[in-house]
Amino acid sequence: MRSIRQIGFGQGVLLLLLLFNLLPIYFIISNSVKSPIEFAASTLTFPQVFQWGNYAAAWDKINLSLYNSTVIIGVSVIAIVALSSMSAYAFSKLRFPLQNTLFMAVFGLLLIPGFLTLIPLYLQIKKLGLTDNYLALILPYIAGGQAFTIFVLKTFFDQLPGEIFEAARIDGAGNVRIFGSVVLPLSIPICTTVAIMNITSLWNDYLLPSLLLNRTHQTVTMALVSFETSTGNYGLSDYGGMMAAYLIASVPLLLLFTFLMRNFVEGISSGSIKM
Amino acid sequence: MSGKLNLRNALTGYLFLLPTFVFLVWFMYYPVYQALIGAFTDWDGFNAPRYIGFDNFARLFSDEVLRQSTVNAVIWVVFAIILAVIPPYFVAELIYHLKRARAQYVYRTLFVLPIVIPGIVIILLWRFLYQGDGAINQLLELIGLGSLQQLWLSNPDIALYSIIFMGFPWISAFNLLIFYAGLQSISSEVIEAGKLEGATGWKRVWHIDIPLSLPQFRLILVLTLIGSLQNIIPPLVMTNGGPGYATYVPILYMYNVSTVNGEFGYGMAVTLIMFVAILLLTIVNMKLVRSDS
Repeated sequence: MRSIRQIGFGQGVLLLLLLFNLLPIYFIISNSVKSPIEFAASTLTFPQVFQWGNYAAAWDKINLSLYNSTVIIGVSVIAIVALSSMSAYAFSKLRFPLQNTLFMAVFGLLLIPGFLTLIPLYLQIKKLGLTDNYLALILPYIAGGQAFTIFVLKTFFDQLPGEIFEAARIDGAGNVRIFGSVVLPLSIPICTTVAIMNITSLWNDYLLPSLLLNRTHQTVTMALVSFETSTGNYGLSDYGGMMAAYLIASVPLLLLFTFLMRNFVEGISSGSIKM
Repeated sequence: MSGKLNLRNALTGYLFLLPTFVFLVWFMYYPVYQALIGAFTDWDGFNAPRYIGFDNFARLFSDEVLRQSTVNAVIWVVFAIILAVIPPYFVAELIYHLKRARAQYVYRTLFVLPIVIPGIVIILLWRFLYQGDGAINQLLELIGLGSLQQLWLSNPDIALYSIIFMGFPWISAFNLLIFYAGLQSISSEVIEAGKLEGATGWKRVWHIDIPLSLPQFRLILVLTLIGSLQNIIPPLVMTNGGPGYATYVPILYMYNVSTVNGEFGYGMAVTLIMFVAILLLTIVNMKLVRSDS
């Protein structure tokens, strides 16, 4: 009897905490379809009349930044994975002088926090005159993604069975052939995973874009921070449109995570991350 | 023959590494070098830096704003650690003790769901909730606690705490999954043996679960410590350090000293001190973890 009550109590607390935890999502969705008048009356009530026009207004204001972010992140992540996989292959399967030293030089970068290079990067990009150019972010992003991605890919390449490489070598394939037609096809899943991890962190980045890019090239995070809520309607601010913009900005991550949620949860839950 | 082959192999190796290192030298090693050297100069960012030895570091000690920023950072770290550990662990325990595996899976997934919201949206949302006519004050009015209404972000006495305590109910998805994984890895023999000794319910949590979750506690502690010292976006976006210097932290100070005042040399000195502090904390933590396990 007592244990049944205990379970019921635990479930109740859990359910309550879950509701609080999901409250931000509810708040954004319900307020994203309110008219300025309804919004001004209360942000807590359920919407009466659904203003789908808010989404059109929000889209008008952030579609350019969505395009900017997509171009910047697309180019950066493709380059990160391409360059990192070559380096990871060299570190894992080739032998050459200074190999360990060079690997430590890359590995050590994992200890360098972003704030250390923030200001020097800002000065450098300004000096190169790139502030009205996507390259302002693409170049530092490519450099910044290397250490982590190389580390993950090298770990994966180390675990590939040696026989594959022996066989390819006996068939007369050189390193470039082996890399292109043996290693890369085998590592599509791991490359997808590290690509998505890179996309997620770059999509969320605000500090570097806000320092390095001007407004016509602004990323989604910049657009959200400086979202103009003035509409002229009844002199009320268009907060509904702002909430709609927040939701639109979450959709790409939602899509990526629905793909990956299971992997992500299992990956951490399997207990492989420990100290 | 084999010497020639080795040479070719080595050349291929360097060729594969070359693109990576072009980017690393240009946009990682050189900026790091500039940050380290810049700390010892008087530099406006455009003219050639002038070497001034340890003058910047001498100035750090008498800097009132930096002192306030450091106090704020320490307060922040303490509360950040409490919030990073207790709520996620509590929820992990509750989920773990659910009877049905299906229910565990559903709750786990739903608690992790909010990670799809970009971090900046959460910050902007809370900035909005904290407004004078925002949802928090509306809610207080609604439940008859109107006297508790506050200007959450513009009252210097509470602005820092408003920022620290945003994100209620503070259930970090990552931390929750780490704790949950820890609980799952407790062997059933230990639990059975505990049952015989009468360790059930809260007794079991206290005597078995918590001691055996120490590695997870330590991991979260280290990550939160290092992460919360680097927090800059919440104060930058919500208050820009204000009102006055009430929500300044050292990294935000470095940011504003450099980009607003144009004192890059001094900004780099603040950066260098923070970097050394975080590096030392990391090394000490790694040593402690090694010696324990």
